[in-house]
Amino acid sequence: MLELLEALLFSTLDAAPALIFAALGGVLSERAGVVNVGVEGQMRAGAFCAAVAALAMPTPLAVVMGMLAGAALASVHGYLSIRWRSDQVVSGMAINLVALAGGTFLLEALFSPNGTPPIDQLPRWELPLIHHVPLLRALSDHPGLAYLSLVLPFAFHAVLHQTALGLRLRAVGEKPHAVATLGLSVAGLRWGAVLGGGMLTGLGGAVLSTAVLDRFEQHTPAGLGFMALAAMVFGRWTPLGAFGAACFFAFGNALRIGLASSAPEILEVVPQGFLLALPYLLTLVLLAIQGQRSSAPAALGTPYEQESR
Amino acid sequence: MSERWRSAVPSILSVLLALVVCWIAIALTRDVKVAGEAYLQMLFGGIGQWPRYLDGGDVGVLARPLGESAGKAALLILTGLSVAVAFKAGLFNIGAQGQMVLGALAAAVVGAQVSLPAPLHLPLALLAAAVAGALWALIAAALKLLRGVHEVISTIMLNWVAVSLVDNWLVVGPLRAVSTGGHSVSGTAELLPTSHLPRLLGDISRLHLGFPLALVVALAVWVWLIRTRRGFETRAAGMGAEAARAAGIPVKQRAAEAMGLSGALAGLAGAVLVLGTEFRYPGALGAPYGFDGIAIALIGNNHPVGVTLSALFFGILRAGGTRMQLLGVHKTFPELIQGLALLFVAGRLIWLALLKRRKAAVASPEVPRA
Repeated sequence: MLELLEALLFSTLDAAPALIFAALGGVLSERAGVVNVGVEGQMRAGAFCAAVAALAMPTPLAVVMGMLAGAALASVHGYLSIRWRSDQVVSGMAINLVALAGGTFLLEALFSPNGTPPIDQLPRWELPLIHHVPLLRALSDHPGLAYLSLVLPFAFHAVLHQTALGLRLRAVGEKPHAVATLGLSVAGLRWGAVLGGGMLTGLGGAVLSTAVLDRFEQHTPAGLGFMALAAMVFGRWTPLGAFGAACFFAFGNALRIGLASSAPEILEVVPQGFLLALPYLLTLVLLAIQGQRSSAPAALGTPYEQESR
Repeated sequence: MSERWRSAVPSILSVLLALVVCWIAIALTRDVKVAGEAYLQMLFGGIGQWPRYLDGGDVGVLARPLGESAGKAALLILTGLSVAVAFKAGLFNIGAQGQMVLGALAAAVVGAQVSLPAPLHLPLALLAAAVAGALWALIAAALKLLRGVHEVISTIMLNWVAVSLVDNWLVVGPLRAVSTGGHSVSGTAELLPTSHLPRLLGDISRLHLGFPLALVVALAVWVWLIRTRRGFETRAAGMGAEAARAAGIPVKQRAAEAMGLSGALAGLAGAVLVLGTEFRYPGALGAPYGFDGIAIALIGNNHPVGVTLSALFFGILRAGGTRMQLLGVHKTFPELIQGLALLFVAGRLIWLALLKRRKAAVASPEVPRA
């Protein structure tokens, strides 16, 4: 029993970082008022570039490349939605489509249709004391980024609520005109949030290819970006909420896979597909109960125009 | 330039730019000759191998590719219309994929489990698909209108719910075809022939009734949207809910109707796929058809005519894309072109600004700029 729990905890912590980073990327962008349905595409770009870079350079450096790739794709989104006030959902979906088809094309052109060659995985950290304690052992032997993903949401929360920058970020998503009245740049703040969000999302993708899969596969991230969006909404656009939701989804996933391998008879009663649908169903139910308008940033999705009120 | 043409210009330029960018991409990864040859093959694969036909080839070298293009275009027309109709009502339906899954499943179940004479069976299967798609879309509409849940989020979630429940449970579980003769089959049971969309050209081409059906549906949507009072009210509600409400239009009702219609159209797309080409619900739907619909709708400027034209164009590229593979160029190229075109269309305002500057420069060349 203890061993099962330990295994569950371990695989949760393996799967969660990608979701956490991507969900935080979504939160950062959307709190500043820019819709980010392009998370899936940005993750794909991050995962691909990190995998390709890892063939030529040390893996940690490759992760940075993945982050830059996410930011590069996000900058297209920023250019269209901030500079040109395009529909943010359209631009996000376009990014998803381009990343999906472009990733497949580049993969085929450079490697093979199925995936890149295997790459060096990120080193896993053996935590000194915990490593020998049963159950807690599950916390050991993860890449450094996994630990970062456990700390970052709290840092993000602190920045958002304790600093002037955080106040400005929240304000620009709620009432951009007020921010402009104070002589601050709405576009500048939003650009920062979109690029930062892209880096986080790219990092989420990079974790996938450098720590979870050890290469970029044809379908990476296979819908995980949309799952991250669900986590963001489920977590009511807050870093800690998104973190909790991402962990919950990752745990659900680990539980599903764990059940399928250790107790297949349970799947006779509760079908696999039903368990797969559960996080999304839960998100829907929660949204229906709370009514979404209460928690989404007020100016989310509305381009800022200086002259308008 | 008339206003109607002006609104089409960004789309046309975007598609051209996407074609150029992809041509360069092939030229860089292979070489210039392959890139040119690939586009030529894509064209032949899409609109027929005219050189071979003019050299005395049989009519099949034209009919076969054209039939494939028409089949792809039919799906794109229906999913594109689905997204466009919701858009006109001010709703962003990202859920065409899920609605299509439900529609395809309904068509597959009715097509395989009900036995009726063909004149009743086919319409019943189509109707079932439309109803299933509409009901799935109405969940999102209800969440939006009753609880204020944004449809972009709810339809994304509903997509995954549909795919998980159907592809990972129903199709591999309760609805899985009974294997015959030892080898297991994926997907649901084979449809009865009475529910198939009939082939229009016999064995020469896979062209089936789905294509004319999609064209008729596009015409009907155009009439509804542009020529009826309801359609006008729907568009008015989409342009500005406040003003429409002030004018006495029941905005919520129109929005719900549009969302239902949107889902029905996506459901029909699922039916066309199942009844026209797959003849069962396959193990998985195979492609993100619903997301294609978003691209087609936006490139077609959300107008039924524009959607039809852009669907025909990309249907041709899609069918032709398989021929590009002969040259070792990846067959997802048409999808890349489509995605890039959507990205460039998203910058519609950039195109318009460029046009405007050009126009201003032409109109008053002597006036010095400040």
